[in-house]
Amino acid sequence: MKSTLEKHYKIQQIRSLTDSAYVVRFDRNGIKFLPGQHILLGPPNQIEAREYSIYSGTEDDYLEVLIKEVVPGNVSRKLKRLEVGEELMFDGPVGYFTLNMRDVLSKKYYLIASGTGIAPFHSFVRSYEQLDYTLLHGVKYGNEAYERDHYEQERYILCTSRDEEGDFNGRVTEYLKQNEVDTDALFYLCGNINMIHDCFDILQQKGVDARQLQAEVYF
Amino acid sequence: MNISDSERVKTVLEDDMGFTWTDNEKDAQILGIVACSVRQKAIDKVYSKIAEWNKRKNKQHLITFLTGCILPADREKFLKMFDLVFTMADLPKLPDMIGKYGVVSPVSLNRIEKIAPESIKDFWHITPHYSSSYQAFIPIQNGCDKFCTFCAVPYTRGREISRPSEEIMSELKILVEKGYKSITLLGQNVNSYGLDKRGNEISFPELLRKVGEYGKQSSKDFWVYFTSPHPRDMTDEVIEVIAEYPHLAKQIHLPVQSGDNKVLMKMNRKHTIEDYREIMHTIWRLIPQATVFTDIIVGFTGESEEQFENTRQIMDEFKFNMAYIAQYSPRPGAASSRWDDDIPRDEKKKRFHQLSEDMIRHTYAYNQSMIGNVYPVIVTGKDRKEGYLSALTEGKIITRFPSTEESLIGQFANVRITTASAMSTEGELVNVKEPELIS
Repeated sequence: MKSTLEKHYKIQQIRSLTDSAYVVRFDRNGIKFLPGQHILLGPPNQIEAREYSIYSGTEDDYLEVLIKEVVPGNVSRKLKRLEVGEELMFDGPVGYFTLNMRDVLSKKYYLIASGTGIAPFHSFVRSYEQLDYTLLHGVKYGNEAYERDHYEQERYILCTSRDEEGDFNGRVTEYLKQNEVDTDALFYLCGNINMIHDCFDILQQKGVDARQLQAEVYF
Repeated sequence: MNISDSERVKTVLEDDMGFTWTDNEKDAQILGIVACSVRQKAIDKVYSKIAEWNKRKNKQHLITFLTGCILPADREKFLKMFDLVFTMADLPKLPDMIGKYGVVSPVSLNRIEKIAPESIKDFWHITPHYSSSYQAFIPIQNGCDKFCTFCAVPYTRGREISRPSEEIMSELKILVEKGYKSITLLGQNVNSYGLDKRGNEISFPELLRKVGEYGKQSSKDFWVYFTSPHPRDMTDEVIEVIAEYPHLAKQIHLPVQSGDNKVLMKMNRKHTIEDYREIMHTIWRLIPQATVFTDIIVGFTGESEEQFENTRQIMDEFKFNMAYIAQYSPRPGAASSRWDDDIPRDEKKKRFHQLSEDMIRHTYAYNQSMIGNVYPVIVTGKDRKEGYLSALTEGKIITRFPSTEESLIGQFANVRITTASAMSTEGELVNVKEPELIS
């Protein structure tokens, strides 16, 4: 059985972040993308593929994705078993969860993620040096602060719901309820749909217009 | 889209293989399905149909095939049931596949229909046998990059690929010269046309402008429609061009899908109701006479009563001339199938009927407002009502008028509307329209 995708990209590195989360780095082969876009990725010789946001920056000479192994998961588990030098099947990039350069230079951003939903924001931060952002990262445990040293310390707020290792103990929704936000800012939400919907309600109550919100739903 | 695809399948079977079309399924030696991946119900029908056909195989020689929008995983399942399973891009290879019948080896079982740009180009080069003498469809774009969560098209048709504008214009001119009156530019995301070429192809409004300019120079009367656009790519420029050129029909099909921003987010529609409202205001301002059709899904996973009420509100606000309302059914392969289909069937039905009734109030009011006015129409055929012909206005409002003159079918005519119901109007023939009279 052949793969559903056609472009083959060689794996350069697999970086384990937690027991289940890992970053796969592979050949870029001149692919152009906008931070926030996603790709379809699959293991070789398989039919199924999944969408993953690009984790790396536009200036990196490789592509990276942040993956959490899902049980049962046809793609994420197989991708984890691949080794450096093996090939990935790839299609894309596609997607519209991107930033407007004019806004990057003039607006403040709230980047709100749950779990691996931080991936496109990692790409934003890595690609746009001028980005004025506050990153709220909601996870269960403190060890899921994936590569937090990649962000400016004062801009990254880890919200942990199951332990007290975070900068804030509780969900990102609780953080939003308890803290002031700049209602003129732009809000980018990525991750679980329930988190996105809850944030949407809270932000609307705080006076943020729906058009200031962009969302990328993860599963 | 399926009509256009089917016309091309028919062409290959007739021209390349010598088969002839039969309206009677029982007479057929080859039976095929052009499948749709948006809704699970459509795929369920495929299972039901092939079971019936396979029973007949015990009694007669029959080749069956499946094409259209099929997920790679489904292709595997269907291959056990159909003799041939192939992607639309591989249609030019159908004669070879049928030639090898008995050794079933579909060329493209294992590949998302993409991105094989060469294959899709071959597909576009098939000149279809149009099933109508006055209405035709021109595919201008294939695939989808939007990834709406309820739809599997990105996984079945692959990435957006735009057809060269020269080919589109060439096909359009041929059709116009042959006397076609209603021509629809087709694509899964028709108004993102050209974006995949990153500056090496004209944009959708530029394509429309070319069509409009050609219309100006042509001595022929015709209306050009397009479907289906995405609100995200519905720029002011598109609406301005439609307003500017008489040959660009003043009818816009603009799927909204839901009236609730949270549902739209969950659908990954990448537009808000505020965005949609802005587009509607631009349409009303620049093309006040335009009719607007839409698509709406009710009972989408997690849709609350309040969220449904928001959809009812936009039905009242936008007063669509037609809404194709679907009760949500999860499509395996589409992202939303991973969520619970948690709205009970009876509730979906109830919402469907409520929204349909809302729509009918507005279509009735609009159609009533047409009474007494004269509209140019294309005569589309004999009406079910004895002694009447059926027709469509430029805004695709159905009308009928008393006449048995079948030579009018496929012609422009002017009809004065005399009565109206929610779904159609009735009138009297004023005159048969002269060619250059488009206003």
